[in-house]
Amino acid sequence: MPRWGMAVDLDRCTGCEACVTACHAENNIPTVGPEEAARGRAMHWIRVERYWEGEFPDVRLTFRPVFCQQCDNAPCEPVCPTYASYHTDEGLNAQVYNRCIGTRYCANACSYNVRFFNFHNPEWDRPLDLQLNPDVSVREVGVMEKCTFCIQRINAARIDARAETEEGRIEDGTLQPACAQSCTANALVFGDLDDADSRVSRLSRSPRGSKLLEELGAEPSVTYLQKGDWDESGGG
Amino acid sequence: MNLAADKRITDELLKPLQGSSRRYRLTVAALMLVVSAGVAAWAVQMYSGIGLTGLNSPVFWGFYLVNFVFWIGISHAGTLISAILRIVDAGWRRPVTRCAEAITAFALLIGGVLPLIHLGRPWLFYHLIPFPDGRGLWPNFRSPLMWDFFAINTYLLASTLFLFLPMIPDFALVRDRASGIRRTIYGWLAMGWQGTPRQWNRLESAMHIMAIAIIPIAVSVHTIVSFDFAMAVVPMWHSTIFGPYFVVGAIFSGIAALIIAMALLRRLLRLEAYLQPLHFDKLGKLLLTMSLLWAYFVFAERLTVWYGNEITEMPVFWATFTGEYAPAFWIMVAGNFVLPAVLLSTKRTRTVAGCVVASVGVVVGMWLERFLIVIPSLSYRQLPYTWGSYAPGWTEIVVMVASFAAMALLYCVFVKFVPIISIWELKSGNDMDDAPHIVEAEARDAAAGPVPARGEAS
Amino acid sequence: MDRRQFVKATAISGASASLAACGNPEEQLVRFISDEPLPPGLAVTRRSVCPLCPAGCGVEVRVMEGDVEVVRDGVRGIVKKGLAKKLEGLPGHPVNRGRLCARGQAAIQVTYHPDRVRQPLRRTGDRGSGAFAPVSWDEALAELAARLEALLQDGDPRGLRFLTRPLRSRRGVVISEFLERFGAPAPVVVDLFGDAVLRQANLESFGFHQLPTLDIAQSRYVVSFGADILGTWNSPVAQSVGYGELRQGRPGIRGKFVQVEFRMSQTGANSDQWVAARPGTEGFLALGMARAILASGRRSPSDGGRAGELIEGWSDGLQAYAAEAVEQVTGVPAATVEQLGREFADNGPAIAVIAGVPLAQTNGLFNALAVNALNALAGSVGVPGGVRFTPVLEGLRGLDAAGETIETLARSILETPAGGAPPVDVLLVHDANPVFGAPPAWGVGEALARVGFIASFGSFQDETSAMADLILPDHSFLEALVDHVPEAGTARAAASAARPAMRPLHDTRDMADVMLDVGRRLALDLPTEWETYEDVARERFEALPPPEGFDSAWIAAQANGVWIGPEAPVPEPASFPDVRPRAYAAPEFDGGADAYPFHFLPYVSQAFLDGSLAHLPWLQELPDVVTTAMWSSWVELNPRTAAELGVEAGDLVEVRSAHGALQAPALIFPGIAPDAVAMPMGQGHENFTRYATGRGANPVRVLAPTVEPETGGWAWAATRVTIARLEGAGDLVRFGGALREHPDLER
Ligand SMILES: Nc1nc2c(c(=O)[nH]1)N[C@H]1C(S)=C(S)[C@@H](COP(=O)(O)OP(=O)(O)OC[C@H]3O[C@@H](n4cnc5c(=O)[nH]c(N)nc54)[C@H](O)[C@@H]3O)O[C@H]1N2
Ligand SMILES: Nc1nc2c(c(=O)[nH]1)N[C@H]1C(S)=C(S)[C@@H](COP(=O)(O)OP(=O)(O)OC[C@H]3O[C@@H](n4cnc5c(=O)[nH]c(N)nc54)[C@H](O)[C@@H]3O)O[C@H]1N2
Ligand code: SF4
Ligand code: SF4
Ligand code: SF4
Ligand code: SF4
Ligand code: SF4
Repeated sequence: MPRWGMAVDLDRCTGCEACVTACHAENNIPTVGPEEAARGRAMHWIRVERYWEGEFPDVRLTFRPVFCQQCDNAPCEPVCPTYASYHTDEGLNAQVYNRCIGTRYCANACSYNVRFFNFHNPEWDRPLDLQLNPDVSVREVGVMEKCTFCIQRINAARIDARAETEEGRIEDGTLQPACAQSCTANALVFGDLDDADSRVSRLSRSPRGSKLLEELGAEPSVTYLQKGDWDESGGG
Repeated sequence: MNLAADKRITDELLKPLQGSSRRYRLTVAALMLVVSAGVAAWAVQMYSGIGLTGLNSPVFWGFYLVNFVFWIGISHAGTLISAILRIVDAGWRRPVTRCAEAITAFALLIGGVLPLIHLGRPWLFYHLIPFPDGRGLWPNFRSPLMWDFFAINTYLLASTLFLFLPMIPDFALVRDRASGIRRTIYGWLAMGWQGTPRQWNRLESAMHIMAIAIIPIAVSVHTIVSFDFAMAVVPMWHSTIFGPYFVVGAIFSGIAALIIAMALLRRLLRLEAYLQPLHFDKLGKLLLTMSLLWAYFVFAERLTVWYGNEITEMPVFWATFTGEYAPAFWIMVAGNFVLPAVLLSTKRTRTVAGCVVASVGVVVGMWLERFLIVIPSLSYRQLPYTWGSYAPGWTEIVVMVASFAAMALLYCVFVKFVPIISIWELKSGNDMDDAPHIVEAEARDAAAGPVPARGEAS
Repeated sequence: MDRRQFVKATAISGASASLAACGNPEEQLVRFISDEPLPPGLAVTRRSVCPLCPAGCGVEVRVMEGDVEVVRDGVRGIVKKGLAKKLEGLPGHPVNRGRLCARGQAAIQVTYHPDRVRQPLRRTGDRGSGAFAPVSWDEALAELAARLEALLQDGDPRGLRFLTRPLRSRRGVVISEFLERFGAPAPVVVDLFGDAVLRQANLESFGFHQLPTLDIAQSRYVVSFGADILGTWNSPVAQSVGYGELRQGRPGIRGKFVQVEFRMSQTGANSDQWVAARPGTEGFLALGMARAILASGRRSPSDGGRAGELIEGWSDGLQAYAAEAVEQVTGVPAATVEQLGREFADNGPAIAVIAGVPLAQTNGLFNALAVNALNALAGSVGVPGGVRFTPVLEGLRGLDAAGETIETLARSILETPAGGAPPVDVLLVHDANPVFGAPPAWGVGEALARVGFIASFGSFQDETSAMADLILPDHSFLEALVDHVPEAGTARAAASAARPAMRPLHDTRDMADVMLDVGRRLALDLPTEWETYEDVARERFEALPPPEGFDSAWIAAQANGVWIGPEAPVPEPASFPDVRPRAYAAPEFDGGADAYPFHFLPYVSQAFLDGSLAHLPWLQELPDVVTTAMWSSWVELNPRTAAELGVEAGDLVEVRSAHGALQAPALIFPGIAPDAVAMPMGQGHENFTRYATGRGANPVRVLAPTVEPETGGWAWAATRVTIARLEGAGDLVRFGGALREHPDLER
């Protein structure tokens, strides 16, 4: 049984946000329009946070892509009264839209603030709706949603793998969520953390690695690789 | 025993049940209008989406849950106070208990609806109810919201029972004086009460059990409501102090609500003879005690946060102390602490008016306290990139106003159907006899017919 | 009752049934038989090329069957169609290597945009009013042909002009050939924020009139002078892929990235060292670095070769560019200049690159030549890990700016005395919106208003196509045969080609096919084998050497989405233009520093580029990564400047230059110099679909028409402005980012 995880190399990430649009396109995430966006209801399952430090000219700006950390000890799960937010065998935090009654408790419990709520029914001005991905359900008003690690791609890959090989193993690198697939700087690496040789497990063991808000004990499946330093010896 | 006084009590306390004034009917109509506006707002919200509120990311909880906690807090007035007073057998409690218990039941009804209005898809609320279904799906009993669901329902059931049981003899009293459909209805409500010794005994012991049982229930309810917050790792929510803090706040706001209700009843139903300055004096002292306790909790909470200086908590701390939420914070302190402390510590100002002014301050202050617990913490979560703010939407305001109107409406209707002061308890007030009403019942049985009640006015 | 009548009858009864039921009308529509068999529920993969910027990233299109509402024979109904669902980067493409930028991901919305022009339109209201009525293709083409015929009859074929943005496909050939046979002047290529200055510099320094290919992946040190290499400039996906490798792609080696600019861009945010140099002095800084290298003896002037010789004082060791002088001129500390020079020389292969603000100056060409000289000095040109030039495929070059510009065209029209016939009678516009993008002083809008007849191939109404008399809507890129030859982004020659990924959604036609059709109507002497655009595209591809396993490069290109040329050494340039060495001249700004205290630095937006993508809702709602703003315009102010002006975040401010004024909300921006203000391009459209119209402000409105004197390139960063606080708040929508917005909270 694979355990899916992601590594985010902050030394590579450029803040280009290809991942953000890719996720919209793959996962039928609606745009809410300027008025609703101004009310704080824009939905971006993955966002690129930015933080300023210092003053001109010694000013720094750093980027950090944040999406559901697929916590092993996910605080969004126990609080959900209907099991709409639940844990899968493969270590994912899954969201069952049909079960969700919209208490929004999970969104409060998630310290990463990566859960998004449908404050209204989503709308696609026709014919923009023709783009909708038939592999992903459209969520109605009152439902919580969030990054799924592109579970539809995982499921499709699993079916393919079972058809192709006896043990049905998904080869490392054959499966990518939309964000990682588009990531221009190759900063997002997805794969099986239980496979010690997969790229993601190797990166997750990197000394540059750390978890976001690790101290809270949610045990995220996402490892952030800190920016490296340049030194003239060429290392980094 | 003074038969004339007895009759006067009965007549005076049953008077509101006998017809209503034009002013009353207008008031009820106006309240119904406001409540309907609340229902309509909810309907529109269901049609259009919860987006009509001011909720957003990151402030996913707003006025509905502020008011939920507020009303559940108010509900602690009644049952808890009356139960404690019953257990310690405080004689002055007699005219107070029923109007207190009624507050509980109504506040719980109102409070209990608010989380439903708050749901994104209220039409699926039944997912919260444990029932065997074909897919073997159960609600998640690990969720504090499920604990809430059970706690509030238990509390509602228990406090309704607690309110209802001592009403039975009074229903019988009304039944015996009524005719026609009224007689039938009160007959049902009186559940065959004849005032036999066995019935009195059963009622007495039932009340005893209820009074003892309801205290842990009430304490648990507001503890569990606090767990909705304390269980989430949200800055300044995740606190061990929340359980007792919420319970104290609940009793605090409950007493204030009770004082206001009593003052209104006294004035509107001309009950000055029953709800006397003595009662306000005693409740005023209780309110002052709770105010000091509340202040102690706030101090303890904020001091530890401030001293601990945790990076994620300080933004919330400062936002409420000096930042955008500071006005609400300082009004809360003034209403919950300064005002009661000034007005209620001296006998001179602990008058009916003084108590009412302090209570209004406390109700406003406690509402703000609920607001200050829910909103600022959500505004300033761990990742500063996601910080946000909140202002209520129109549906939230309409529903909130309607919730107050609903309280008033339920009360207005209640006093027209139930004597708001427990007649039999009042009559048995100063009687040190073990069971005066049993004697009275025996006499009635002997007379084989309705016998004027016997007892003493307090 | 024949079949058609039957279908009509069912449609009518269906419509009335739907009215009666008040249900979903689409459930009542007639279901037509699909003429495009597709496996239901299964995805097929097709190829295309991203059309949104000249980089030309290869695209893989996921196509699935879906229901589309159509009108057939006047009957509304539903038909199954292969629909593009998702775009991915084409894995084997040498430019983007399987990746797409945020804009490329959003490109699919071009096809499904609700405000696409769905059939030919004829203008019914005043020019620019946007009032149009549908016409048939036959009518529309007959009208266009008649206008052109009249020109030929009058013996005035030079009264025809064609406006287009730079084209890197063979459609450019169709346009050029058409104009040539017609007797009209060459097309006017509109490239307002383009790189004419840099191409000229590269021609002078290295003999290549093209943009460089940056081999960042194999480099160890990259200094960018104002170039938004990771965001919008040149081949941003190719450069970002390389940047990832520069940083963490090689065990034990992590390259350094330095950005020189006055306002921190997305690219600058990624730098290991961020250097703020005054606008227009970047070339001086580059030469300061070169001087430090020369003075330290690490290199000698002769290493600079021809690129060095173009700089005055080069052979004498660049005495005028001592670190202290550089500090004086650029504001960069002398020690930093020395340090950068030393590191650049010691950590090869190193790349210096320049674009954006430094080139949009009156001394832009010099700045570019200076950076070229620095590259040459470090031995970075034409080597792995350095600055390279993509081999040019003869005959597949595309259309670049040359000759007449939109500025000169507009002037020639406006200079015609009133009553006289302007020199342009018929104007054809393809994929260019100069009414929106050109500085007001050029009077493009006024000039177009005087043109006798305008036809646009636009897929959307925008400020320019709203002036047209006819709109002849083009296919979207997914509906058309596409081909593209990248100018940069790959060290090997490459050419993409792909058949349409899906059938047209609307009654549109390929611009090139329309031109061929009109050419036939006019009996122009176009090659007879050019029946459709496909014939034109195929022709040159077939001349390319086929890769192994393929009979023709055309087939191979379609099979793989791209034809990749053999690994070959970059040809030595045959001849250099005859130019004399140049000396640094301080940049000149429009508006005196006293009256206009702030440098105005507009920048190409990460989401909208020059504004041509403001109509895509995904991009409107994409939080600008640096400011987190969505659906907005804003003016960036240094916190100190804002405090001095009494401006807080969100306050409405006025930006005024000698050429105009605009209003936009202020945004407090720590990464900009106190004497500069910046603003993204792209918003402020008056007429560009429901998503962009009336949203925000267009910085171009205040820009001076200053040009770089030697190339004529527009110096769009050479305007100075004043800032004034206005009453009230502007519409500034932001997604997040609270640190600076809550200065009272320390964290
Ligand atoms: N009389 C009659 N009987 C029939 C047929 C018929 O035509 N007539 N058709 C037959 C055929 S072809 C079929 S396919 C079957 C269909 O029979 P079922 O499979 O029983 O189909 P439904 O009743 O549509 O859906 C079952 C339940 O799934 C729930 N559900 C919806 N979405 C989800 C989800 O995402 N997760 C989970 N866990 N539950 C979800 C729904 O609320 C519903 O309660 O019926 C067969 N039986
Ligand atoms: N609104 C709605 N739509 C649904 C579903 C739903 O629950 N609700 N369910 C979905 C599912 S699970 C399914 S399987 C499909 C089913 O969708 P369809 O396959 O369209 O199913 P039916 O409408 O049951 O049957 C189709 C036709 O077959 C005819 N028929 C019956 N027996 C025979 C026979 O022996 N020979 C021939 N030639 N024709 C025969 C029937 O009269 C009917 O006209 O619908 C899907 N669509
Ligand atoms: S990141 Fe948030 S939503 Fe995702 S699993 Fe963790 S707690 Fe749940
Ligand atoms: S919003 Fe939905 S998923 Fe979240 S806790 Fe409530 S029911 Fe569960
Ligand atoms: S893994 Fe999939 S769902 Fe999650 S952010 Fe990436 S694209 Fe979106
Ligand atoms: S696509 Fe990759 S590089 Fe770009 S912002 Fe997302 S994670 Fe960073
Ligand atoms: S860089 Fe982006 S916009 Fe340009 S062609 Fe590539 S994907 Fe398209």
